[in-house]
Order: sequence, then C-alpha cells, then structure tokens
Amino acid sequence: MLRWMFPLVLSLMLTGCFDHNWQTNDIADVMPALEFGLVDESGEAVRAGEFSGKPTLLFFGFTHCPDVCPTTLTRLSAAIKRLDEAQRDEVQVLFVSVDPARDTPDVMKRYTEAFGPQFIGLTGERARIDALTNRYRVTYEYGEKDARGNYNVSHSSSVFAFDSQGEARFMISDIDSMDAIVGDLSYLVENG
Amino acid sequence: MSKRKQELKRCISAVSLRGLAACLLAFPLAASADGLDVTDARMRVLPGDTPAAGYFRLGNTSDNTVVLVGARSDAFGRVELHRSMNKDGMASMAPVSRLEVAPGEELTFAPQGYHLMLMAPVGTLSVGDEVGITLEFEQREPLVVDFEAVPPTAM
Repeated sequence: MLRWMFPLVLSLMLTGCFDHNWQTNDIADVMPALEFGLVDESGEAVRAGEFSGKPTLLFFGFTHCPDVCPTTLTRLSAAIKRLDEAQRDEVQVLFVSVDPARDTPDVMKRYTEAFGPQFIGLTGERARIDALTNRYRVTYEYGEKDARGNYNVSHSSSVFAFDSQGEARFMISDIDSMDAIVGDLSYLVENG
Repeated sequence: MSKRKQELKRCISAVSLRGLAACLLAFPLAASADGLDVTDARMRVLPGDTPAAGYFRLGNTSDNTVVLVGARSDAFGRVELHRSMNKDGMASMAPVSRLEVAPGEELTFAPQGYHLMLMAPVGTLSVGDEVGITLEFEQREPLVVDFEAVPPTAM
C-alpha cells in the first residue's frame, strides 16, 4: 500500500505546495498567474516578470480617490507592519491606476511613498490596464465629469495575492479581518 | 456679523431675566455648542493636490433634528459630503446633499462610509496641522471644527 501511495504523496507535494486553507479567499484555481505590461513610477515600461521573487499584492484604484483607496492601502500597510520584521521587506504591493489620465508615473510615485517602501505605483495605457483588469475579471467605470472636470472612478475593492513566482493564491475582500489578512500574508511569505 | 456683535453687546448689557432669555434665543450658536458635539475630527494628509478625506463624529445632544448640509474650509478650494459604497466588490462614491441626525443620535464619518471630500488644497498641509473646517447646517449656525492632519497610515 505504501508503494502506491508514494507517487501520490509525491505528486501532492509537488503540485499542492499551496494546497493551503487560506483564511481570506482561495483563488489558486480560478485566477491566472500575474501578467502585465505597464509603466512604473519612473516612467519605464515594466512587465510582471520583473516583480517575481517576492509575494505580490495587487490592487486597482486611483489617486483622486479620497476614501476607499487610502483606506485599503492603509489596511495593507498595517498588515505588513504586523509581519515579523524580516518578513516585511519580502512583500510588495502593486497599486495599479485605473485613471492614467490623471495618474502619471510621478503622481503615482509621490502617492505610494506615503504608504511605505513596499508600495509601488503602476500606470499605463488604457488598453494595457484593461488587459490586466479583464485578466482578474474586475471592472472599473468613470463617473460623469463635473463643471471643473473632476470625476470619480468606481473600481474593484479586491486585493489579489500572488506567490513569489506570480501564481495567484488568495484574494482579500473588504470584509476579511485584519487577523485573516496577516495570517495569509505571513504564510505566503514563509512558503514562497 | 457686525449686527450680531451689536446684538451680543445688547444682550451682555441686559440685566433683567427677560434680557437673558432674549440673549439665549438670539444666539442659537451659543446654545448649539451644547446641542452639537463633534469629536474625533481628523483628516488624511495625502501627497500633492490629490483630494483628502475628513472624518469625525457628530453627536446631536439637542432636542431637535440636526441637518448637515455641507462644509467649507479656507484650506481647500472645495469641500463636499460624500459616501463610499461597496457593492458586489465594486467601490464607488457619491455626493450627499443632506444628512439628518435625530436628537440623541450620532452620525459617524469614517473610512469606507461617509467622509468629507477635501478638494484642491490651497497650501501644503503637514502631519500635526490643525485645519479649520466649517460644518454647515440647515436652520442652524455653522460650526467651525479643528481637524487634525494625520498621516494616511494612521487610520
């Protein structure tokens, strides 16, 4: 019996390293690996592969968002601060703008600096951003411009987490507790 | 304002009980300091000219319903009352024109809910600054509240 179980156990070990019971929402089987071509905070073209090597959190938003975006980024910042000191630099947060008309690389750089060194702003052409939002089945929508040209953007409030190889692992929603986020993040850092 | 000052002088100089009563009636603001209780007033400092959010708790300790209809500040080109909503994983925001607070009730402006949207900052704000924001009410004197400027990660 042990003889036939061995390959089974081995294959489970190989494919199911992340057969983990996430406290937030498991997306390992439903979301594709991280892939994009965007523009970083220095205005340089970047691809997802350049961010591999560290677990990555991905969040869509825009800087003219006074409440939800800073609140979500603050929650992530607080979760990162609760990790062991050695783990904190092993996480990166990609904040992807869905409002590239206002969010230039420079604006993204100043904005993300307010949340911590782990936060990286990405922007780019609408078509490139759409490719990424479509990939994770999220949408965004521009509100009407007011007399001064200001407009709101409704957008996904979910945060997607990827392992250091860019494989999708879990998703944080608004209702997930801080303990759940810290637990999952810590496990992700520990295990790749 | 000068008319109010004159009235105030007249009230102060009034010595009779009747004069005192008239004084209280003429200055609802003086009475409303007891009827309105604003606590936990803070705003985020965000880089550049990006709009910031202001949060507070407004307690109505008066016997009448209080209606918040707007806000203004010398530190911002424009201030609006907004509400964030989250439906099916989509976050959106909408302006709010009036908010009623019943007697004895408290209205909370907090992250991911009601917030003051502070737009077009006039100068540069730093953490620790106190920013005067005037809350405007229906049929009631406006109330100036000092909001503490805090870093975004403090909330």
